[in-house]
Amino acid sequence: MKLTELFQQGAFVVTGEVGPPKGASAEEVIAGAKAMASAVDAVNVTDNQSAVMRLGSLAVCHLLKEEGIEPVFQLTCRDRNRIALQSDLLSAAALGVSNVLLLTGDHMVLGDHPEAKAVFDLDSVQLLAAARGLNEGHDLEDHDLEASPDLCLGAVVNPGSDDLEAQLLKMEKKIDAGAQFFQTQAVYEADVFARFMERAGRFGVPVMVGIVPLKSARMARYMTANVAGVHVPDHMVERMAKTKKADRKKVSAEMAAELVRQVKGLCQGVHLMPLGWDDIVPDIVAQSEVR
Amino acid sequence: MHATIQKPLEQILGYFAQGQKVFVVGCGNCAAKARSGGEPETRDMAARLRAAGVEVTGWAVPPNGGSLCKLSDTKELLNVQHRDEVAAADAFLVLACGQGLHTVIDATDGGDAYPGCDTIFGGETVADDLIVEHCSLCGECITDLTGGLCPITLCAKGLTNGPCGGASDGKCEVNPERDCGWHLIYERLRALGKLDLMRRYVPPRDNSRAVRPRRLVLEGKRATFQFAGKSISAWSGLEPEGAKGTE
Repeated sequence: MKLTELFQQGAFVVTGEVGPPKGASAEEVIAGAKAMASAVDAVNVTDNQSAVMRLGSLAVCHLLKEEGIEPVFQLTCRDRNRIALQSDLLSAAALGVSNVLLLTGDHMVLGDHPEAKAVFDLDSVQLLAAARGLNEGHDLEDHDLEASPDLCLGAVVNPGSDDLEAQLLKMEKKIDAGAQFFQTQAVYEADVFARFMERAGRFGVPVMVGIVPLKSARMARYMTANVAGVHVPDHMVERMAKTKKADRKKVSAEMAAELVRQVKGLCQGVHLMPLGWDDIVPDIVAQSEVR
Repeated sequence: MHATIQKPLEQILGYFAQGQKVFVVGCGNCAAKARSGGEPETRDMAARLRAAGVEVTGWAVPPNGGSLCKLSDTKELLNVQHRDEVAAADAFLVLACGQGLHTVIDATDGGDAYPGCDTIFGGETVADDLIVEHCSLCGECITDLTGGLCPITLCAKGLTNGPCGGASDGKCEVNPERDCGWHLIYERLRALGKLDLMRRYVPPRDNSRAVRPRRLVLEGKRATFQFAGKSISAWSGLEPEGAKGTE
């Protein structure tokens, strides 16, 4: 089912996220998606996340679909030119995938093949426009398609960016190009997200707040130091630091749910990115009081 | 200008067989500015090769800041001014960009030319000791929309519709030492009072303009850019093209 249909019904939409492994077996990633499936409307499958070469997103989306789990196919501009991007969107539609998330992609310099050629033939705005064109029955060069896909088009935005004005300008461009919903970069500060939504809410396109549950104090500090626009408040870092290893998942879920409860009135959904702690997703959703 | 940097001497020495005679050619323009193939570097390279046991018949650099990539001048330099040293050589070591290297091949009717440099980018000579890349030679300039700053070059991902979400404190996610190109563009457009330009959708680029090899053909005031089996013409005269007596 397309996420747009859920938004139209007034649902508070919940998505999870899994990352394909570096290898040819999808067993574990499917198990991870299954662990969260009962609590979410759909599961994002990342596309060679962090520019690390892995099992493909589309293959895993197809396998999830076979398991009865609704996937969100993440597609980045980093590794494919406009022919491959459009072709993969058609392939996704042919495999029954209804939701896609279209992004620029992390630069390969940051990944495990730093000498790879950067493609970026299209940027995320142009990719959205291309996908909308496919939905309308034509490709980027205006050639007719024999059968049009009917994809729900998602995009991303970074609410904590220190260049927020530029982020908002681009967000508007993404909406004009065809974005039907947004999933955000990880949010830890409710007030930062509130300030963002004061502006972004006016665009009238559903926004799903991005939540990355903390696994440890070390990870929290790493996120603050290395992820653009992300700042984990001291009290959260301290709470994780005080938590015994055995209790971390439980406390992490509690903290994530607290945050969701604080911001859920500001937005239309939540996107949970558990980074492998897939089994805590149902706990977070249950404690978030969004259902 | 074309920025170049010398290859390691060990790599250069590996080009030449025992007893092979080499003539070293530099460039008075770009490679001189990049200190990879001006007079001092070309003279020194000849000496370094000799010290390593390579037989060097001579060396030359186009005079008065001349460019090695101008074929007629390079023919004069190699076939007239340095005729005997060139005739005695089996091979050329070129301390210049790839255009200069090919010019030497053309000037010598297929001479055996080797690269002494890597050609790294086209840049602005900001100071005697600094050359910075501001243009990617993409064939389709869109800097009217970006305050004159090229996003293809300044943004690590070459994005044309605004920043990705990876910048922090105005710095790029690829390298925190490097400015985010879109941060620079945003600040410049703001200073120029032209921020509205950032709302403009920039369509996908015509990458066929970058299909190589490209050529520029000049006929009077008409220039024709040929690429990918297509061509684009420009008329640079005051008078309308075709007016009587304009050429």
